[in-house]
Amino acid sequence: MSDHQDHHDGHQVNYKKIYFILLGLLVVSVAGPFLEILWVTLLTAFGIAIVKARLVINNFMHLKWEKRLVKWVLTTSLLLMGLMFAGVAPDVMNHEGNNWENLAAQAAVARGVAGEHEEEEAEDVVEVVVGFSAQSTFTVVCGACHGAAGDGTGAAAAALNPRPASFIDPVFWETRDRDRILTVIRDGAAAVGGSPLMVPWRASYDDEQIQALTDYVMSLRPNE
Amino acid sequence: MANAKPLATLRSATGIPTGRLAVWWVLASEVVIFGGLLGAYLMHRLGHPEWAEAAAHTNTWVGAFNTFVLLSSSFTAVLAHQAAEKGNGKEAAKLLGFTILGALTFLIVKSGEWTYEIMHGYTITANNFWSFYYTAAGLHALHVIAGAIIMGFVAVDAYRGRELHRVELIGIYWHFVDVVWIFLFPLLYIAK
Repeated sequence: MSDHQDHHDGHQVNYKKIYFILLGLLVVSVAGPFLEILWVTLLTAFGIAIVKARLVINNFMHLKWEKRLVKWVLTTSLLLMGLMFAGVAPDVMNHEGNNWENLAAQAAVARGVAGEHEEEEAEDVVEVVVGFSAQSTFTVVCGACHGAAGDGTGAAAAALNPRPASFIDPVFWETRDRDRILTVIRDGAAAVGGSPLMVPWRASYDDEQIQALTDYVMSLRPNE
Repeated sequence: MANAKPLATLRSATGIPTGRLAVWWVLASEVVIFGGLLGAYLMHRLGHPEWAEAAAHTNTWVGAFNTFVLLSSSFTAVLAHQAAEKGNGKEAAKLLGFTILGALTFLIVKSGEWTYEIMHGYTITANNFWSFYYTAAGLHALHVIAGAIIMGFVAVDAYRGRELHRVELIGIYWHFVDVVWIFLFPLLYIAK
């Protein structure tokens, strides 16, 4: 007992006051988003979280009066956390760089954003159709390998063997028809004896969307 | 039995009571555990705009209520520490009892919330947002459970006037669990 009594006798904290300030800050952080202004929400959410955490750490945990050793130990942990974040975040937060591209993350974003429209506008079927654009989906998702113009020169193309198909090559179209394009998009190229690198997309897009994507690919065919 | 105490609990090279120093070391490792998890969540959240859609389904009011519960339990924990410093073990035990009640309330609300979400299809495998949601909140809930159990032992001792310094030690841990939630709340419930 005596050891920490010596330590704490020098200060008196009004715990009740701190507690009510914390509750007041909680109310502000819940109220913030109702203004529907992004920076206000971020400030009331994370700015206030930092203030609340400081109040608890200083006044309830008494870190303010603790010996410096403890602060050093905790700071070291925080720095390690910052180091982890700084080292990993650039790869996670970006989905492409100079010599690389994260196709899975790009596809997840494209899928998620498309799904978002679907959910928000589910009551209005017309809106759902508008929300999906075959051309923009082709550019973002298919274009990663096949190129935005469909010429088989997407960012990932160089790394793939066999190379992704070029839809502007007349030779390619000598052996393809609409049914085959649709099957490959829906079930993957492996379904017709092609490369498994062209994966099936039926889980990501419904029949109507796959039809639209097929039409878009057909429209790239030269001399038509 | 007083003489049978390990030397390490009596000796202090740093000027910080050994038990308290140990708690700070535990918390330093916890900072890395939760920091790594929340940091990973944050970078994915920033890199994936579509997570906002999933996050919109968490219930801010339930999160806010649980924040209120944890802040209140932290308040009673620090009052228990104050009582223990004055040598009032019975009062400290009573206040720790309120803190344990807070922990139980938090866990009951959380299990109701999770049941509702899981029944609506928001399971841990639904997508990456929900995976993080259940992992981060679940790890935090495990800390709440552990804290409540330890607090039970400390409260029983404190009631008998024994080991009163431990009231402060479990309090420091408990406030840390509170601080983690203070950051989880805006990350999972407010930023949508």
